[in-house]
Amino acid sequence: MMVWLILLPLLWASLAFMLGPSRGVWPAIAGLVAQLWLAFALAAEIVGSGAAMHAVGGWGAPLGIDLVADGLSAAMLLLTQCIALPLAVYAHAYFKRDDPARNYFWPLVGFLLAGLNALFLSADLFNIYVTLELLGLAAVGLVAAGGGAQQIAAALRYLFATLVGSGAYLLGVALIYGTYGTVSTVTLVSLIGADAPDLVWIAGGLMVLGLMLKTALFPFHFWLPPAHGGAPAPVSALLSAVVVKASFYLILRLWVGPFSSLTVVASLVVWFPALLGTLAVFWGSYQAIRAERLKMLIAYSTVAQLGYLFLIFPLLASAGALQAGIMQVFAHGLAKAAMFAAAGTLIKATGQEMVAGLAGVAERLPVTLFAFGLAGITLMGLPPSAGFLAKWQLIELALSQQQWVIAFVVLVGGLLAAVYVFSVLRQAFLLAPADSVVTPVSRTLEWTAFVLAAASVLLGLRGVELMQLVGVT
Amino acid sequence: MKRLLVVLGAVCLIVLLLGAMHDLAPASVELHAAVAANLTASGVEHPVTAVLLNFRGYDTLLEIAVLLLALIVILAIGREEASNAEATVDVRLLVSPVLQTLAKLATPLMIMVAFYLLWAGSFRPGGAFQAGAVLAAAAVLLHLAELLPSWQSPGARLRLGLAGGFLIFLAVGAGSLMQGALLEYPLEQAGALILLIESGLTISLGLILAGLFLLLSRDDGETS
Repeated sequence: MMVWLILLPLLWASLAFMLGPSRGVWPAIAGLVAQLWLAFALAAEIVGSGAAMHAVGGWGAPLGIDLVADGLSAAMLLLTQCIALPLAVYAHAYFKRDDPARNYFWPLVGFLLAGLNALFLSADLFNIYVTLELLGLAAVGLVAAGGGAQQIAAALRYLFATLVGSGAYLLGVALIYGTYGTVSTVTLVSLIGADAPDLVWIAGGLMVLGLMLKTALFPFHFWLPPAHGGAPAPVSALLSAVVVKASFYLILRLWVGPFSSLTVVASLVVWFPALLGTLAVFWGSYQAIRAERLKMLIAYSTVAQLGYLFLIFPLLASAGALQAGIMQVFAHGLAKAAMFAAAGTLIKATGQEMVAGLAGVAERLPVTLFAFGLAGITLMGLPPSAGFLAKWQLIELALSQQQWVIAFVVLVGGLLAAVYVFSVLRQAFLLAPADSVVTPVSRTLEWTAFVLAAASVLLGLRGVELMQLVGVT
Repeated sequence: MKRLLVVLGAVCLIVLLLGAMHDLAPASVELHAAVAANLTASGVEHPVTAVLLNFRGYDTLLEIAVLLLALIVILAIGREEASNAEATVDVRLLVSPVLQTLAKLATPLMIMVAFYLLWAGSFRPGGAFQAGAVLAAAAVLLHLAELLPSWQSPGARLRLGLAGGFLIFLAVGAGSLMQGALLEYPLEQAGALILLIESGLTISLGLILAGLFLLLSRDDGETS
């Protein structure tokens, strides 16, 4: 069942390519519906009977490649499909008929999703590198597609960042293969636990740093705001909501998997990601508060929200830290997809992209603004949203281990998020200037953003099931 | 200053790596032995082809997707309307007839070499990647000799050719998944299936690699 989650997007992506420029929306949406069903079925199966394994080619590691679906991967698969389907519907309504960005949108999205799903399922370090390539190249293509010089420059910068990141990761994989003769993550856990020469430390450092660059963790975030802020809205939403989470997932996987014995030996190393995460929360929020363009504000908010994910590393030893991290991944993923989608609608309707030009949209586009506000509630971490649940659990864990600093960062980060979310809402509720024109937009654009935002809030009520799923190993 | 720091960082990394590699014990998992032991069950006689198409065939499937994707990205970035009409400057006279004649002579040979490499892949170094590269080189040679125009937006038949090899591979994968595991070939048909996949890949890889060149050169009409 899990393998179809990889084959289906590959199939509809190549079908869409063969059908020709700007065709292929219906195979894509049919495929996405099937993928969503598969992801739910896989999650249910895993909760019922534990982690599932598939030996590709029937060989099994170390000769062949293994695919493993445990709670963590099933949760990420579920999030990806849950976000991709509404965004695909949104994108279909968003692109105009003659928009050059639409020409190869569906093949690119298909390969992107195949890369994501393959990454979440893989238990082989080299195979993961191939999925990273698929993912990175598709994402760069989506940012660049049909854009002007500025957009292509942002895409190129993104390409260099992602290539350097993958290159560092690949060098690490090569060193690991040279040391142990295998790249299977399952086999490596016991091998690294038994004996870790210096080379493995270098390999681990290179892999984690490369992936941090791809996750846009402060100070490696330089490529994210222009790429996410400049791309078409459905693309920004997809990239901010799931693509950056893929490399975070991988860091987490390596940290609690093959490299878990290293982090026990050097216990201080857990503070490195937490320190960068703290700086990311403050710097990203500060830049978001200062931003004048709406999509740049949201992109910097992504930089800040990614910071929270790295605060869990010092707490990983205790139960529940993983769950808090994944809850934040879900909260931010759904909320950020909704926020970029809503921003795209607002920009389309008002014809300009400055925060200052939003005056009056509250009465003209109430559904979109409501979606933006709901997503904002999740980012701030107000109850009953999933963001609240994630932050609550993070603070509780931090306090139980006397890590006051982490609890403080989470609280202040929530307040800073409130500042930038309200700066948008305040502007939207102002009276419109007499000469402002709001062009009517498709209902689909408004309601898909709303569905995503509502999901980010309502997930807080069903958080127990998600945490139970993440706990399955 | 910035450059100095980068060089310094690179030198440090090299020293670290060399130092750490110096006292490295032999690897604890011996994959060569496992490949050799399972070679008879793989359907081919050459270990590299066995690894690429059977043991780690899933990696190759995704690699082909990456190559196809690279071509799609180039198509997605390209601005087709800009390059069409005004770029048709006649440069045919600039190319020497010797080059054209040689290219015409070499092309059939290169196609033959490509198919030899494809066929040889099952028992000696060779296979779809090498064969596709030779095919692509033939197309590039024809283009440089002005016998083959650069590609504009590909038509339906060309798109079928570009994606066809990948789709055959994907279909074999899906078929084997319904029978058992992804890309698990039945022992008797393993050789035939690998040849089928490699034949499709040779054509598609040739077209994709040629496309990477011929699509990128489409805006150069005026400058050459």
